[in-house]
Amino acid sequence: MNSFFKEYFDRTIFFCALSLVGIGLLSIYSATFDAYEGRDFYRQLLWAVIGFFAMLSMMLLPLRWLQRNAFRIFFTSLSLLVLVLLVGKRVYGSQSWLGFAGLGIQPSEFVKITTMLALASFLSQSDVKATDLKDLVKSSAIVALPIGLIMLQPDFGTALTFLAMYIPVLYWAGASKFLIIIIIAPAFVAAASIFGTTPFLIVLILLGAGLYKLRNENRFFATIVFGANVVIGFFVQIVYEKLPMYQQKRIATFLDPNNDPLGAGYNVIQAKVAIGSGGLIGKGFMRGTQTQLSFIPKQWTDFIFCVPGEEFGFLGGVVVLGLFAILLFHGVHLASTAKNKFGNLLAMGFTCLFAFHVFVNIGMSVGLMPVIGIPLPFLSYGGSSLVSYMMVAGLMMNVYANRKEY
Amino acid sequence: MIDDFGSADRRFVVRIVLVAGFVILLGRLFQLQYVNAELYGKEAEENSIRNVPKVALRGYVYDRKGKLLVDNRPSYSVMVTPVDFDKKQLPLLSAILAMPETLVVDKIKLGRKYNAFIPTRIKRDISFAELSMLEEHKDKLYGVEIQMESKRFYPADAHGSHLFGYAKEISDVQLDKQKEYYQPGDIIGSTGIEAKYEQLLRGEKGWEFISQNAKGQIIGTFDNGKHDIPPVDGLDLHLAIDGDVQAMAESLLSDKRGAVVAIDPRNGGIIALVSKPDYDLSIFSGTTSPDVWRALNNDEGIPLYNRATLTRYPPGSTFKMLLALTALDKKIIDEHWVVTCPGSFRYGNKIFRCEHVHGTVNVVDAIHRSCNVFFYQLMLKVGLDDWSEMGKQFGFGKQTKVDITEENSGLMPDRNYYDRIHGKGKWTQGYLISLGIGQGEVGVTPLQLANYTAMIANKGKYFQPHALNKTFNKRTKIYTETKVEQREINLSEHTWELVREGMRRVAMAPGGTGWASRVPGIEVAGKTGTAQNPHGKSHAWYVGFAPFEDPKIAICVLVENVGYGGAFAAPIAGLCMEQFLYGEIIRYGKKPMKLEPNLPDEEPVAANQ
Repeated sequence: MNSFFKEYFDRTIFFCALSLVGIGLLSIYSATFDAYEGRDFYRQLLWAVIGFFAMLSMMLLPLRWLQRNAFRIFFTSLSLLVLVLLVGKRVYGSQSWLGFAGLGIQPSEFVKITTMLALASFLSQSDVKATDLKDLVKSSAIVALPIGLIMLQPDFGTALTFLAMYIPVLYWAGASKFLIIIIIAPAFVAAASIFGTTPFLIVLILLGAGLYKLRNENRFFATIVFGANVVIGFFVQIVYEKLPMYQQKRIATFLDPNNDPLGAGYNVIQAKVAIGSGGLIGKGFMRGTQTQLSFIPKQWTDFIFCVPGEEFGFLGGVVVLGLFAILLFHGVHLASTAKNKFGNLLAMGFTCLFAFHVFVNIGMSVGLMPVIGIPLPFLSYGGSSLVSYMMVAGLMMNVYANRKEY
Repeated sequence: MIDDFGSADRRFVVRIVLVAGFVILLGRLFQLQYVNAELYGKEAEENSIRNVPKVALRGYVYDRKGKLLVDNRPSYSVMVTPVDFDKKQLPLLSAILAMPETLVVDKIKLGRKYNAFIPTRIKRDISFAELSMLEEHKDKLYGVEIQMESKRFYPADAHGSHLFGYAKEISDVQLDKQKEYYQPGDIIGSTGIEAKYEQLLRGEKGWEFISQNAKGQIIGTFDNGKHDIPPVDGLDLHLAIDGDVQAMAESLLSDKRGAVVAIDPRNGGIIALVSKPDYDLSIFSGTTSPDVWRALNNDEGIPLYNRATLTRYPPGSTFKMLLALTALDKKIIDEHWVVTCPGSFRYGNKIFRCEHVHGTVNVVDAIHRSCNVFFYQLMLKVGLDDWSEMGKQFGFGKQTKVDITEENSGLMPDRNYYDRIHGKGKWTQGYLISLGIGQGEVGVTPLQLANYTAMIANKGKYFQPHALNKTFNKRTKIYTETKVEQREINLSEHTWELVREGMRRVAMAPGGTGWASRVPGIEVAGKTGTAQNPHGKSHAWYVGFAPFEDPKIAICVLVENVGYGGAFAAPIAGLCMEQFLYGEIIRYGKKPMKLEPNLPDEEPVAANQ
């Protein structure tokens, strides 16, 4: 019995996910208790219970059935996104909520999962090659559909997560470093050009070095790519300077929140103060002055990391990061060992999804990343995101259980 | 290429990226929480930005002539910032404010629950003595501050208790529903126009950013107040109300229970809406003591209850026009159809009474002299369906959707109703007879009856009754007119003429029951009514409009438990119409004067206190 359990039950993911959910619940309890007598906490607790069962059922679903029906599930979920645009509720400026039986549901969270299912199902077909132009177009169409619908809401941060999943999966499935550089370089070049000449030059030098190292691919093409990126950089800079002042300010603030200490920067500064003042061992549970005094708006959603950061200090931060690290490296291990290509791609895609959320969300709380409103998996307040990430954990456990099957 | 899938090379790259990510985050945490921990710790303690809400000036309310009805006056509130307040000073603070310590503690706790860093209101509208005492002990009372704000003030004679409604401190229930905008201690419109147009009147709160240290002492404005968001004043409301008519109607009903609703038939604007007994709105504008509340709630006259929109009484004879219009429109009768009234009407073994022996009457006479027998017989001829259909077209049996307050939908009985109450086939024509004279199950509100009168005055044209004419934005100087929904009941001109002529005779011709509603120099049309009341004296109704040829005001008056409509309700209507049409009372001579209850041959119906 015990060995059977060991063989088919992924204790690592189970342990990490539940521990993180527990830390999240404690944080939400601490951050919201004073305000509305813990109602938000109980609501999240209820979602965690629902998420737990969702996780178990995702673990038990036959993987082959998922693979066969991935597109049906995908398109059904896309219809929810369309529905949201038609009848959805507007929260913080984007129309991403679906009211359902008194509960708010954010379909975009679940579409992340279904998109990955569709993508993995497509890329695992024996006649599909990730690098063929034809298949590349098809796979990017799979991702473009949800991105397009989510940009209409508009929810930039969530749309970005799809790319964070797609590009690494493409790489994992065989696309060359060269291709990946072509795809991601323009974004970095554009951002750097707004920051100023020095960052722009540094990014260009890095790009040049990368392309030089990969020159065997196609020297002529590499030169063209480099040239195109230089042009993009200058073009972005010219457009940026032509923009009205307030829009420039908005972009600059997005890239560096410290520019605007009362707008987007307000959260970041307060978050940094909260985390920094936590010190090595923190101020103690429910004792964080910044947390308890509601200095950080939207704290229990996007800035939840401040709570363990302030109340449990560096120690708390290390525990949270450590749990995520175990989860992510385990995910890579899973992707490296699973024999089934579909499961293998799922493991990689979901690992990258987690990685992106963790790095961007925590990076934003510690002032290293722009403020993109995406949740911290398992910890952030919000039913849809909690349940969907627990489902993702369940699917990864499913891949583990089936890892030896071809 | 495919063998490259998930290759060792790729595994390595992915792992490197992950390691890099975690190392960077860990390093940053170490930097923030170890290297710079002291700095941030100090910052957390010493220098925080706090945002303080700035309440916007609530919009003013004007009447149709531009007279200010609802004003703002300065008042001072004591605010306490929960985190800053030193509990040891509690006895001092509660002594100054003459509040029990427990109450002060409760208020502070409530504020803490919302946001311990934002000042919460402990006492509103403090006296000058309290203000000076607080100033004197300022150095001891950390976290206590005085905030200047405004309270409602009612400069006009009109009370308008049910019309304007009150704005008072937000209740926990209200707060729970709208916690995005409101905070404990905020003012929110709770009844009448204040509630209906809360969103317009309240404006938008502003925010002031201040820097302060851990003790809550304010270091100064943040960044010279450059980031402060100034409050946006509420919109001013210009009502269709005529403040003088409103005040007149209120004073005429002052020792009565009843209601007056007057509507401008040209556009549906409400000229006056009065319910009596009423109460003084200003008791809600500062602090409202629980005793005052209890007294208002326990008063047997139920002053908080809006009789103009909530009472549901049978309309009595004022409903005869409805039946006459139905019969004429459906060509069931014409003006030559007559009934001979012997003073009563026998149906089966039941006798239905009339007030007089009217002899032979046609439809115009029957309205003029309010002959019941005519309408008993007519009701049997017309039947339930056409009558109730017409009643619904006049808006009976459903809410008028007026923009003032909650309302009763009344009851317009129809076939379904009778089938439901008595069972299908178990009711007979005999049940209908008294409906013809507006008695029995039928129930209307004064507002519905006024709307019906306005429609008759207009020969069928309907305008949605409304109090708000337009709003005014003080910042942009833009007026926004209210859109008024319109429709029409199409009846022949002749039908309207006959019924209106009957109404004209009620007021103007000898033998009419509504002569007391006459206005000097102006032709009035009207109809009196008496709603039977099983619990005591009848309720007096009057509906009417003037001038007859070009109606500018339609009015409905209800006086409870006094008797005949002609004697008690009609004179009130006459004076209100006179006030509206002339802008003053002229019947006692040219010099404007306050009303004396001195009508010939009348009991004193209206006393001006």
